[in-house]
Amino acid sequence: MKTNIGVFFGGRSTEHEISVISASQAMAAIDRDVYDVTPVYITKEGRWFTGEALTEVSNYRDPKKLLQQCSEVYMRPAYGDSNLYLARRKMFGTDVAAHIDVAIPVLHGANGEDGTIQGLFDLIGLPFAGCDVLASANGMDKITMKMILQACEVPVVDYVWFTDKEWFDNRQEVVDRIESKIGYPVIVKPSNLGSSVGIGRAADRERLVQCVTDATSYSSRIIVEHMVDNLKEINCSVLGDCDEYQTSVCEEPIKSGEILSYEDKYMGGSKGSKGMQASAKRIPADLPEATSDRIRFLAGETFRVLSCHGVSRVDVIMDEDNGQIYVNEINTIPGSLSFYLWEASGIPFAELMDRLVKLALKRDRQRQRKTTTYDANIFAMGGGVKGAKGVK
Amino acid sequence: MLITIIFCTIAVCSALSLAAELRRDLMMMQQNSYRIERYRRWLRSSADTTSWPRLAGMAVALASLAAFASDRVGMTLIGAFAIGNIWYLSTRRYKKPLVMTPRARRIYSVSAIISIAITAVAAVAADGHSWLLPAFAASVALQILYCASHIVIMAAVWLLQPLENRINRGYRDDAARILASCRGLKVVGITGSYGKTSTKHYLKRILDEHFATCMTPGSYNTTMGVVRTIREYLKPYDEVFIVEMGAKQPGDIKEICDLVHPEYGILTAVGEQHLESFGSIENVQRTKFELIDSLPAGGYAAVNNDFPYAADREVTNTHCDRYAVSNTAGAQWTATDIAYSPQGTTFTVNGPDGLSMQLQTRLVGECNISNLLAAIAMAVRLGVPQEKIRFAVADIRQVEHRLSLRRTPGGITIIDDAFNSNPTGSGMALDVLSGMTGGNRIVVTPGMIELGERQEKLNYEFGRKIAACADIAIIVGRYNREAIRSGASDGGMTDDRIIITDTFAQAQSMLPGIMKSGDTVLYENDLPDTFK
Repeated sequence: MKTNIGVFFGGRSTEHEISVISASQAMAAIDRDVYDVTPVYITKEGRWFTGEALTEVSNYRDPKKLLQQCSEVYMRPAYGDSNLYLARRKMFGTDVAAHIDVAIPVLHGANGEDGTIQGLFDLIGLPFAGCDVLASANGMDKITMKMILQACEVPVVDYVWFTDKEWFDNRQEVVDRIESKIGYPVIVKPSNLGSSVGIGRAADRERLVQCVTDATSYSSRIIVEHMVDNLKEINCSVLGDCDEYQTSVCEEPIKSGEILSYEDKYMGGSKGSKGMQASAKRIPADLPEATSDRIRFLAGETFRVLSCHGVSRVDVIMDEDNGQIYVNEINTIPGSLSFYLWEASGIPFAELMDRLVKLALKRDRQRQRKTTTYDANIFAMGGGVKGAKGVK
Repeated sequence: MLITIIFCTIAVCSALSLAAELRRDLMMMQQNSYRIERYRRWLRSSADTTSWPRLAGMAVALASLAAFASDRVGMTLIGAFAIGNIWYLSTRRYKKPLVMTPRARRIYSVSAIISIAITAVAAVAADGHSWLLPAFAASVALQILYCASHIVIMAAVWLLQPLENRINRGYRDDAARILASCRGLKVVGITGSYGKTSTKHYLKRILDEHFATCMTPGSYNTTMGVVRTIREYLKPYDEVFIVEMGAKQPGDIKEICDLVHPEYGILTAVGEQHLESFGSIENVQRTKFELIDSLPAGGYAAVNNDFPYAADREVTNTHCDRYAVSNTAGAQWTATDIAYSPQGTTFTVNGPDGLSMQLQTRLVGECNISNLLAAIAMAVRLGVPQEKIRFAVADIRQVEHRLSLRRTPGGITIIDDAFNSNPTGSGMALDVLSGMTGGNRIVVTPGMIELGERQEKLNYEFGRKIAACADIAIIVGRYNREAIRSGASDGGMTDDRIIITDTFAQAQSMLPGIMKSGDTVLYENDLPDTFK
């Protein structure tokens, strides 16, 4: 009897293809002596499929043919039922495609990294690895993430945030606020997309307006940050949960333009199918030990105060002029699960996957201990419905 | 024509009456674990076969046979009885109602088939040129079946036994296969006359800090219960499997050990419980030690040194640690510096190689400290770090109905020790009660059962202790009424403070009248319906 890991990937997001790559790497790394693996692929239309053919990246060149070899499936949001059901019922035999013991979501971006699928797993009561609903949502939104870090005294760059409606109603006021609080150059981002989508740099007002208008087509929440002129980007991964976690060695991604672009991140190097791993990077980063220790400490703090779980990657910015270090963002489901950082830190990919499973089970045990419902039916008690309004 | 319809209706009512009666018999059979010998013993001791409904039934049967000439008289009697019986049975409420498991359904079906066959034979034999005679014959047959319904149930159970054995064997083999495929699963067995369920819960809570753990739930401590746990609850990623092992007769525990092959074992007590089926305390000792005896050479046993029949028994087949709260000489694990307070207990655990841990817990009572000690010793052996043990022990909640403390909004403290009582446990509960000096101390109890020859004496002593520890005693039911009353009286309790009731419900309804804020009530033992 082997533990069956459900690996969920794909998704309705701008990072769908990256997710496919990350997942196929992860699935190949899982130790099949100890675990069974069930791939669950979410198409760009949001439909779910399972099948052995989904583990091979080259099959995705012809998606239509690929899906014909697979079965469409769904999960019931009923507590305790972690079966994958076939969407088309069979005439004879069971309509259970697989029973999932532990879920590992490897979805990047919207509808996967933001707490949506984590919420489904919580409703079902299915143990899963990675940030829960709270940490996923906060980690995904650049604004709330910075608010929390600021409150916990983790250094972040100065920022201003607003909604597209505010921009529409009070553009001048917003611009004034940006210019007085931060000053140029600034970097404009939609609050909730990853991988450098919709991001623009502005050194003057005209360009600022252009960038914000562009960003509003991706999100209704916009964040404008102070841009460090002479910056170095360093990434560090964190593994564990907020009781016990460890940090990896640091990496320095090498960029082509002034900021890492989508092309840099995913099409870097040879073919596009190697994902995050293939983009040019320096591991470990070339830094004095004190600096690298400080970065690792800040990464751990970020992980802890955001209540993260599983494997995350924290991206920091170093100001080369004055040595200041700022936390830029956290990726709660990092590309390729940052396995290359962990291999460089002494943890092989297979062990990384095993740890994720163990972390998922540990959290599930902790969850089971907390009371979330009461057996008592207040409607059935003498007080009647009046009592149901209670004193709040 | 009308008569025919009436007769047929009466026959149908009679059939329904029998069906209801068979259901009641099935429920009692289920409460006796489908063991015919146990069921028969219960029939004898509860005088069920001569209860007034049955006697009335027999009278009706005889009368209707005697009045063969006037079948209308017979039918009237039968009809009246049937309706009366249906009404009577439908208004009765049982504490532990029938659970229609597949097995229960099988037994019920076979009982129905037997009844239908006999009734059909009677109807066919009384063939006449109308429906009247067959209807009458069927009704009489049904009435006689009513009087003998317990025999019908026993026959059904006996007939189905080979099939049940085959089904059970299939499940058992499946469970064995599942266990064999779980590599590296550590199996911990827990047994003892009492304390096993509490110890199991405490061990699970501690191990949960460090391992994925599965335990047999609730009262699944028989072989088939363990089989069901393995087939339905054990997960592929579980690392430790805690198996509670109960025994109603010698060989029961060995049967479970042959299935799960435990490597670790805890023996919590060898005491005077279920003496009726064991016969003697030596037999109890031999049966409980079946667990320890089955452990391999590289295994580990933790045995309670506080019980003479456990302390005096040598163990050579495996590494054995003894644990104790009172009889500490010769024990590798002890609990000392025990201090009770309204928040719970603080104590020190001392183990081998100079191990010493300061712990605090919400639990009260010496038996609970002893159970915790066993769980801690096992957890240390399995490799759980000390800080995790400390955290878990501080977090442990009380197990319901096992010496658990609760305060009502009205200021009354309830000590709930309603599950399977035994002389030692009830003594400890009274000790906890005697310390509650903020108001009146009240005991509600039916006494202890299944103590064989010693039942009267042990309940008498229980009565004496009640007089020493409590202010008011409410004795429920007739099983131990005299024994407890005389014990309490001889112990110095005045008659106005000893209250007698027939049922638990009656006792509960009079409590609001006598209790006020600051009082404490101890519920000591509660009996299933077989002992009304």
